[in-house]
Amino acid sequence: MAASNLSIGHRGSDRLALDGVSFELPAGKTLLVLGPSGSGKSTLALAIGGLLPREIPASMGGLLSLDGQEIRGLPPTTVSARVGMVWQDPDSQLVMERVEDDVAFGLENRGWALPEMRARVPDALVEVGLQGLERQRSRRLSGGEQQRLALAGALAPSPDVLVLDEPTANLDPAAAVAFMARLAALRAEGSTTIVLIEHLVEAAWPMADLILALDGDGHPIDVGTPAEVGRRSAAKMRDVGIWLPAAVERRIRGIQLAERPARPRPERTPGTAPVIEARDLRFGFDRAEPVIRDVRLWIQPGERIALVGPNGSGKSTLARLLVGLLRPDAGTVRLLGDDPARLSPAELARRASYVFQDPERQFLATTVEEEILLGLRFVERASARLLMGRLGLPLERFGRRSPYRLSGGEQRRLSLASALVREPAVLVLDEPTFGQDRLGYEALLEILDERLADGATLIAATHDTRFVADATDRAIELDGGWVMADEVVA
Amino acid sequence: MIGARVELDDRRLESPLGRVSPVVKLGIAILWLVGLALTLHIVPPLILAVAALAAGGSLGRIPAQTLSVALAPLWVAAFGIGVSNMLFATANSDPLAAELVHIGPIRIAADAAVGGLALAARVIAIASVGAVFTLTTDATHLADSLVQQARVSPRFAYGALAAYQAIPRFGEDLTTLRQARRVRGLRGGWHPGLLVGVLVLAIRHADRMALAMDARAFGSGPRTFYRPLRWSGLDLVVGGGAIAVLGLALAVRS
Repeated sequence: MAASNLSIGHRGSDRLALDGVSFELPAGKTLLVLGPSGSGKSTLALAIGGLLPREIPASMGGLLSLDGQEIRGLPPTTVSARVGMVWQDPDSQLVMERVEDDVAFGLENRGWALPEMRARVPDALVEVGLQGLERQRSRRLSGGEQQRLALAGALAPSPDVLVLDEPTANLDPAAAVAFMARLAALRAEGSTTIVLIEHLVEAAWPMADLILALDGDGHPIDVGTPAEVGRRSAAKMRDVGIWLPAAVERRIRGIQLAERPARPRPERTPGTAPVIEARDLRFGFDRAEPVIRDVRLWIQPGERIALVGPNGSGKSTLARLLVGLLRPDAGTVRLLGDDPARLSPAELARRASYVFQDPERQFLATTVEEEILLGLRFVERASARLLMGRLGLPLERFGRRSPYRLSGGEQRRLSLASALVREPAVLVLDEPTFGQDRLGYEALLEILDERLADGATLIAATHDTRFVADATDRAIELDGGWVMADEVVA
Repeated sequence: MIGARVELDDRRLESPLGRVSPVVKLGIAILWLVGLALTLHIVPPLILAVAALAAGGSLGRIPAQTLSVALAPLWVAAFGIGVSNMLFATANSDPLAAELVHIGPIRIAADAAVGGLALAARVIAIASVGAVFTLTTDATHLADSLVQQARVSPRFAYGALAAYQAIPRFGEDLTTLRQARRVRGLRGGWHPGLLVGVLVLAIRHADRMALAMDARAFGSGPRTFYRPLRWSGLDLVVGGGAIAVLGLALAVRS
């Protein structure tokens, strides 16, 4: 596969998403695409899959070719027969109800004969470690299993090229490692060309034969082997906000910013009123299978709490219970002395802010500016502008855009901004660092430190072990709805 | 309810009624509904309802409890429709009509009572047929059968299947949007903006889904089938039986 001077602009946008990208990827090798949020990584993935400009209107300049044939010129059947795609959200890529039907779906569409399908489907499931789950309903699988199922569906037709766009973004650390291990095994076979966009750079960097680094405007910073790119451009990549593996970071430590200063821990004075107190909480969407079981919590003002645990362990549910967005089946919650589910919306908003896991599902306005100003008093507007600037979303440039047209990382920062602009006693953030590049991450930590300096309490549900270490001082680990551990973060 | 989606256990899918072609079952349901339109009597719809429920319980292995829970709201609806039609029928104000009940201002003519009961019976019949159909039919099986046995376009059938799978998602979207409003201090449980939000999310989900399906070569050429379906003797027996029951029900009226 090769690209030469490839430029892509989305229709309705005045700037290019990708600008002058060139690379040559030999068959069977792996390309890792790195770049800060909004750098056009997903656009490149769509173009390789032949979906852009065919399905999504866009203008394209330069060349992008597969085995010397320009992808744009190939009929859709040829491209989809040769390129498999995996995205980050399993919910929007699993089509059929049951596991084996979903794997077979891509084969049916390509007109495979029945005996071949019967032979290939179990093989593809073995390749991703899902053997034995053929008749299972895909909605009943865990997030990690669903994502491996999506991989099986893409692998089943034995594509020449596999494109993965942040495949582990929704997975807990263990599931993400398992997914990357499957990918590493696939790469070792050497029969599939892989284009990988991945923020788990520690696992992805060693897998790459070639790295393409992009800056925030879609210009290429460097293309080369990991060793070359690490030597030539590490500092520059760091500056535009790209995460680097620890080994590469260590080499450029000379220019590294100072380590984060140690924070004073909040004093635990017995007898102070808790900001949140939960007693014997129990909650289930389905009565037979509680999501939260007998949880007791005592949270003091100024604590920085991480809720950790695997996908589906009840982190988000507990977070919603603690600020009264859900009512427990049994037990009580007190937020500053009152049942949060009974507070008026205005009073609740004064006491707590909440950022939901999926940023798209909490947008209430049609432009970025309306979204951030929604419900704010006039005097707070200036600080909202300032905050958006610090989070890399200046209103001059982003204000009139639709929140839905932002990149994933930008959407996350907008939803964070709408919570951080208020000054409530409790900040609840569900996966706050999701899809964040280094610049977004640093800005978030800095703003959080300011907000928490005057005694606010943080509760963050997160898979991000780095964030747990950098921003929190108490980790509550959930599994199957039980609190498994409640300890000080070292 | 939003968010509810029928999920069948394998035992029911392997029952005789679960194995009958969904197209045949759909055909029976339509035929019976047309048949019901031909009569205004009370008994034929009741016969069809009993036949459907009996078939569902025996041939479909639907537990009685599941069936009664599924039908409970419809019993209430049938009762309400029956009573209101009985009370407010024009026949009641006809001074010559045979009088059945006369308590204070309430007067129910015999014709009105029969009309009301017939309507209620109809609602029960339609509900029972619908419940037995949904409780014995797997969504994937229905889509496969529509495409292979009724020549429905795959784009429509599998697109509808994907949309059906997304139904619980719409409920979650609505819940989250309502919670997002509340925690940002906005009043009003049912703001019209919520519907716009749910619609936008649904469209975006559909877009992503369509993209994923296209990336897997959907609609790119002639399709083969992982689960080939054939007409079976069972389809013939069940279809024939259903026609016989309908004939019997319609014959009873005279």
